[in-house]
Amino acid sequence: MAEQMKLSVIVPFYNEEDNIQRMYAAIVSAVEPIGAPFEILFVDDGSKDATLRLGSEIARRDPRVRVIRFRRNYGQTPAMAAGIEHAHADILVTMDGDLQNDPEDIREFLAKIDEGYDIVVGWRFNRQDKLLSRKIPSRIANWLIGKVTGVPIKDNGCSLKAYRASLIKQIPLYSEMHRFIPAMASIAGPRIAEIKVRHHARQFGTSKYGLSRIYKVLLDLMVIKTVAAFASRPMRWFGLLAVPFALAGALMLVHSLWIWSGEAGSLPLPVAATGIILLMSAFILVCSGALGELVYKLGDVREREFSRLTERLWNPQ
Amino acid sequence: MSVSETVELSVIIPVGPRHADALALYADYRRGLAAIGRTYEIIFVLDGPQENFARGLETLRARGEQFVVIGLTRRFGEATAIMAGFARTTGGIVVILPAYHQIKASAIGRLVAAVDNGDVAIGRRWPRAGGVLERFRRAVYHGLLGWVTRVQFNDIACGARALRREVLDEVELYGDQHRFLPYLADRHGFRITEVDVAQSPEDRFTGTYAPQEYLRSLLDIFTVFFLVRFTKKPLRFFGMIGVSTFSLGALWMLVLVIQRQFMDQALADRPAMLLASLLLVLGMQIFALGLLGELIIFTHARQLKDYHVAEIIHYSRPTLVEGEPKSVESTAKR
Repeated sequence: MAEQMKLSVIVPFYNEEDNIQRMYAAIVSAVEPIGAPFEILFVDDGSKDATLRLGSEIARRDPRVRVIRFRRNYGQTPAMAAGIEHAHADILVTMDGDLQNDPEDIREFLAKIDEGYDIVVGWRFNRQDKLLSRKIPSRIANWLIGKVTGVPIKDNGCSLKAYRASLIKQIPLYSEMHRFIPAMASIAGPRIAEIKVRHHARQFGTSKYGLSRIYKVLLDLMVIKTVAAFASRPMRWFGLLAVPFALAGALMLVHSLWIWSGEAGSLPLPVAATGIILLMSAFILVCSGALGELVYKLGDVREREFSRLTERLWNPQ
Repeated sequence: MSVSETVELSVIIPVGPRHADALALYADYRRGLAAIGRTYEIIFVLDGPQENFARGLETLRARGEQFVVIGLTRRFGEATAIMAGFARTTGGIVVILPAYHQIKASAIGRLVAAVDNGDVAIGRRWPRAGGVLERFRRAVYHGLLGWVTRVQFNDIACGARALRREVLDEVELYGDQHRFLPYLADRHGFRITEVDVAQSPEDRFTGTYAPQEYLRSLLDIFTVFFLVRFTKKPLRFFGMIGVSTFSLGALWMLVLVIQRQFMDQALADRPAMLLASLLLVLGMQIFALGLLGELIIFTHARQLKDYHVAEIIHYSRPTLVEGEPKSVESTAKR
């Protein structure tokens, strides 16, 4: 009890009054035998049913449980982010509150982290969902996400994941990114392992989200990946954007000046003006890059920190 | 009774250029507040040197009336005045009242009562005076705001509001945002009720608005739009506009080039090329703005939280207390 906490289990709940008590019992019976000090964080994402009341009753009985109450429903990514923010332990495990993940798997996740991995992702290899509406879209999405991010994970949608706390607490999480946390975390260069997990069919309550918004999410993801890639060198990126404009502009300007100095002697005004516009635009892009440098400097994302989090010494004592 | 340690209501009255006579206003509000039957304090915030009003307050003070006056050295705007007043409040419920006769003071009690079952109560002047055109203008304005924010309010220009102090603790107002407080509070997940309040006869407005009023309303809508909807995904918005502008310019340019190559139309002396290249450039700039926005969000994500934690429920042994210094844990370890 007085030791440093080893494990935080983070479970977001949204209208899961049928599941929260079972979930709690399952987590405790799975994690207690491991023998390490742990805590459980329930994030109540603005539930309208009895989830919050049941959760606080559990917290009253068991001081290892904390319930984070949101003022209204914000969605799964913010719920996970809040859990991660408030967790105290060294290893964080996130899972769904609908009993589809099996807490018995947590032990294997811990073992993988102890092996030296920074992130362990679950793979629901015998997924118990409808084929057409859930499994096939998810297949496609996972393939696309793998292509976009370069992190080939078979099952991004599985909520059961384990993270080294020092790493995940540094990763910016926003928008609808809970599916892509590993991809997002890849900006820090973590070692990612994937293990098979059990998956149960939903027993109680109804499913809360489909894959209909996948294209929006993919767009977000591409943006985030791009931003993550150039966040620390905005000048270079905006500079690259500016190059074609600058080249075209300079060419047109030179061309029109050349005609002007020729024998006919009249300045082709539209060409000259277009050239000047393109050149100015390139200049403004470079200025935006300078602004970007300032933004990065004032922000709280530091590549230096990321590299320190995941670096390993080659000749450990 | 007014300035004590345990007031229930803190009344903030921001005094801008539009204000009524201090003596009449004070007497009116005193009556309305006394009728509620709760302890209260009154804080006047003079937004810039409002000399007439200040003289009135001096007279009142000479009579032995108890209130706090905060004088701001220049005009900072109503939102800042409210926040300056809020910093000195002690009550659990904050009541914000306009410095002119906008509502009947007897309605304040209903606002305060509404906070008991919610977090924010905003006044809606009803029944309200005004011609057909004016009513139409208001309906369009609030309709657009409601469409943009997906929450519908009917009179955000009404300055009478009552709210729990947690709301102002969390929602920081600045600039012109006092009007948008209900939308911002809604975004933080607070419960908001609109309360019909009787309009003061002196608030009847019969003229027509100057064009700049309309411009201001339009800018309001844009402001709220960006505050509420697009703050987290700038590239979705700027990117869409930027890419379409850019493609339009690119297509046009292509047409011009084809015309020159195959249809024997000169390119160099046509202003159309100028316009097409302008579109190209503009599209790129807008896209770049979106990228910059994304960069800001990405590098500041931990400060710009998506969520608002209402409370953390934890019945603890001492070692697990929220926010407990780390040193205690490590001492215990040894």
